[in-house]
Amino acid sequence: MTPTTVRRINWVGGIFTVLTVIIAVLWAFPIYWGIVSSLKPEDEVVRPYIELWPETLTFRHYWFALTQTQIGSWYINSVVTAVGVTVLTVSTSLFAGYAISQLRFPGRTVLWWLILASFMVPTQVLIINHFVLMANMSLLNSWAGIILPQLIHPVIIIVYKQFFDQVPKDFREAAAMDNASEWNVLFKIYIPMNWGVTTALSIVTFIWAWNAFLWPFLAVTRTEMMTITVGITQVYDAFGVYYAQQLAAAVLAGIPVALAYLLFQRKVTQAITLSAGIKG
Amino acid sequence: MSEIRLNNVSKSFGGVQVIDGISLEIGSGELVVFLGPSGSGKSTLLRMIAGLETIDGGTLTIGGKRSEHLAPGQRDVAMVFQNYALYPHMSVRENMAFGLKNIRMATSEIDRRVQDAARILEMDALLDRRPAQLSGGQRQRVAIGRAIVKEPAAFLFDEPLSNLDAALRVRTRVELAELHQRMQSTMVYVTHDQTEAMTLADRIVILNNCRIEQIGTPMDVYLYPSSRFVAGFVGSPGMNFLKAELSATDGKQIATLGNGSDVALSVDLPPGAYELGIRPEAVQVRATPAATTGKAAVVEKLGDRTLVHLHLDDGTSLTALDGGRSEVKPGDIVHLDFDISQLHLFDSDGVAHHAK
Repeated sequence: MTPTTVRRINWVGGIFTVLTVIIAVLWAFPIYWGIVSSLKPEDEVVRPYIELWPETLTFRHYWFALTQTQIGSWYINSVVTAVGVTVLTVSTSLFAGYAISQLRFPGRTVLWWLILASFMVPTQVLIINHFVLMANMSLLNSWAGIILPQLIHPVIIIVYKQFFDQVPKDFREAAAMDNASEWNVLFKIYIPMNWGVTTALSIVTFIWAWNAFLWPFLAVTRTEMMTITVGITQVYDAFGVYYAQQLAAAVLAGIPVALAYLLFQRKVTQAITLSAGIKG
Repeated sequence: MSEIRLNNVSKSFGGVQVIDGISLEIGSGELVVFLGPSGSGKSTLLRMIAGLETIDGGTLTIGGKRSEHLAPGQRDVAMVFQNYALYPHMSVRENMAFGLKNIRMATSEIDRRVQDAARILEMDALLDRRPAQLSGGQRQRVAIGRAIVKEPAAFLFDEPLSNLDAALRVRTRVELAELHQRMQSTMVYVTHDQTEAMTLADRIVILNNCRIEQIGTPMDVYLYPSSRFVAGFVGSPGMNFLKAELSATDGKQIATLGNGSDVALSVDLPPGAYELGIRPEAVQVRATPAATTGKAAVVEKLGDRTLVHLHLDDGTSLTALDGGRSEVKPGDIVHLDFDISQLHLFDSDGVAHHAK
């Protein structure tokens, strides 16, 4: 008897694969469309039908964005403010999350409930207060003015607290037997054991801060102090607004975020795997 | 000088008393095992010595120094945790050196101590590995190594073998005994495993219901239990307990069992109702009529010995220890004798009285 190989077709798996590909294309298409449009002359962009590839390929909108606008300053402003927001948010949240999770002090529960409650308040509700506060402190049109109101991220404190709660108390006790100070327990044990979450939260915060529009738009009126997301609105010439030019600026604005994710993607995965070792 | 002295220490969690006025002296170089069932307070007592739990009342002296108010790291004790608690992001070397770096010890001294401990525990080749790359037994060694490098006044072990498989547990137990003999350090060891307690301890402290039931050498607590609890808790298979009525006839004392059999014994007790305790090895299987008879229900062949589980006429259960080549089969009527020198009587308060 000759053995016969029966190949079973996995229909369900196939359908899921096709669906996944369709959804991925739907997600990626606006990015593709933005990049392609930024490489077309303006008259091609406004044509009333869809052209998936430029008839005439041009880089002049990128040249315009790079030479005729203050994109250099906007980049610097975005980098400084996004890094500032990331470092300050993550470090303050880390201390707050550790204190609430591991230390016992009067008012701890009340503080925890306040943080949870503040999670329910959208930033937009506070934006007028923030504006008045920053104006009174003469911080409008400054890096500090852009950064400070963006440091309120209770969700990061909550995530840190949850992760610190999950560290078995044996480690804390072993550190106590090892003569470790509270500072050492945090920096030598808890942070390295939760490196994955710190990396992931840093990247997420950086992307939030880089993409922030509403507050930087309100806090800055001087063109040279704008962040790149706000700066895109300034990309026009004497004849008005051109889609292709704005899309070119938007692509340039998005590059650092895309690079940050691509570069740290492996690191995030690695770090999360390491953190998973805590439970072992 | 590395003795530990507990004087009337107590501890409660909320309104629940978990340690109730315990006093104990652990001599320098002695290996004392805290043995007791879950919830007896043995781990809490160890953690109170370590400083991981506060002491509500009483005093603690370690190496002649009052220590109840000192932080864990300042008590000059090292602890081996049940789950090892090795820092997963540090290598074996870093794990062992962490405590020494925290007291700002010179790097050369740290290196020397780590190398010495690694040599003692035969884990030189593991120093650059991380805990995740080690087996359970190797992790256990690292946890012990982390304690050794501190050269403490006393070592505290909190059920250190409970996460190991049976074979590794036996091997590590022997290694721990060797380590103690070699280092001659004061060690306090918590376990609920009586085999570990019997094999490792110089003295066993048996805890029950937040109090010490008995302190003694392993053979003391085995042969002369102070209470019914100790008699039942120590020994595997456990001691047999039979209802008995003690009476005096013609100047002789007789314990009459539930099935009507009489057992002659000598004990300084007034007549009355007692519980008679006898270990399985003191119940002898005889070929000819003896003190009493029972019906074999289950026979467990263990190779070198045979456990015969019997029922007496009144339904009382009894276990006898017979030879490895025992011919007793389930359903057999078995003649039994008692080694009267190994009889114990327990009064209504559970206090033990040993036959002479």
